[in-house]
Amino acid sequence: MPVVIGFEGSANKIGVGIIRDGEVLSNPRRTYITPPGQGFLPGETAKHHRGVILTVLQEALDEAGLKAADIDCVAYTKGPGMGAPLVTVAIVARTVAQLWGKPLLGVNHCIGHIEMGRLITNAQNPTVLYVSGGNTQVIAYSERRYRIFGETIDIAVGNCLDRLARVIKISNDPSPGYNIEQMAKKGNKYIELPYTVKGMDVSFSGILSYIEETLFAMLVEITERAMAHCGSQEVLIVGGVGCNLRLQEMMGVMCKERGARLFATDERFCIDNGVMIAQAGWEMFRSGHVTELSDSWITQR
Amino acid sequence: MLFFENKGTFNQHMTKMPLSNRSSTKYVNMAACVSENDSDKKLEFFLKVPFPSEREAAIALQSLSPDPEPRKGGITKNLDVTGHTLSVRWTADEARILRVSVSSFLDHLSLVMETLDAFGPPVSQ
Repeated sequence: MPVVIGFEGSANKIGVGIIRDGEVLSNPRRTYITPPGQGFLPGETAKHHRGVILTVLQEALDEAGLKAADIDCVAYTKGPGMGAPLVTVAIVARTVAQLWGKPLLGVNHCIGHIEMGRLITNAQNPTVLYVSGGNTQVIAYSERRYRIFGETIDIAVGNCLDRLARVIKISNDPSPGYNIEQMAKKGNKYIELPYTVKGMDVSFSGILSYIEETLFAMLVEITERAMAHCGSQEVLIVGGVGCNLRLQEMMGVMCKERGARLFATDERFCIDNGVMIAQAGWEMFRSGHVTELSDSWITQR
Repeated sequence: MLFFENKGTFNQHMTKMPLSNRSSTKYVNMAACVSENDSDKKLEFFLKVPFPSEREAAIALQSLSPDPEPRKGGITKNLDVTGHTLSVRWTADEARILRVSVSSFLDHLSLVMETLDAFGPPVSQ
């Protein structure tokens, strides 16, 4: 039963997780949170990760009650993501893999989300909606590969929400999307047009509700179309935006109408974390794949 | 630590860099040379980093070499190991581009050294 450690840091979260035979032994994480009105830039994000990664690594070992010698393989995010943070994390993963004399596994971030979602929910062969700050795709497994059936043609839905939060200066703590969701819950008027001026005042929570409803309805439609295409009876939502309860609710309504099952995970695993990389790394390892050091370069795409 | 000379003469500067806060008695000697090569008007920068063992120098090389330079043009960087020493050689068209690459590299080098310090020494092969 190999013990796999996974390193994730492709955006503003840095996580290190340890998994053994499908059991999560530890999964600590830190988030680089910028002041309201500011997004996170690659250089500053990489600096944040450099400052904490070794602490988080030690925490992962301590919480799992393991020594370095107990680790069998080292998984890390090869891509996609932001270049500078990816390099920071890859460097540490390569170094410990060599120090401990263990194989290295370069994992695709998106597949990390999907494999973790499958492990936690036990969905067998779902249509996957992957929604986060950096990704928006509808994915299904077909003929031995994960294939993208639909995706955003420009920015990710989480990016859209994050930018909105920046414009109206919503706090980024714990994440902009979470704060948008809380505010949107209080909106009780669905407004057809996103132009809400009341005399000398303006109202924003109505816009947020409108935006959420519209964005999420769009995602439900393309997921439904992919399900029809594949004849699938399961939906799995992964990625940070998947934490949103309204999205889960709307997807649930569509699934119920089709007699399909909906699967989602909680914030521990929806949001970027180290153990999802470890889990995907384990799947790679047991199918005989490892990553040579010279091939371990990171990729932004 | 960075000196830019006119007319292609070398300026050598020895710098001691602390390895980490926890082991303040360990220092790394870095020899840095900068020259401006008149013939092709490129800036060059050399760095030599001694490690406590050949194994650790080799580990550093393998950790620091796989990723391509973020900027495609205007800079080259070559890493090599001889014995205990990691050597790095840059050529660049502009000082600004050189500065960014060297600065980035030093951050990554520090990270490798801190990792070696915290999670080393290497297991015997």
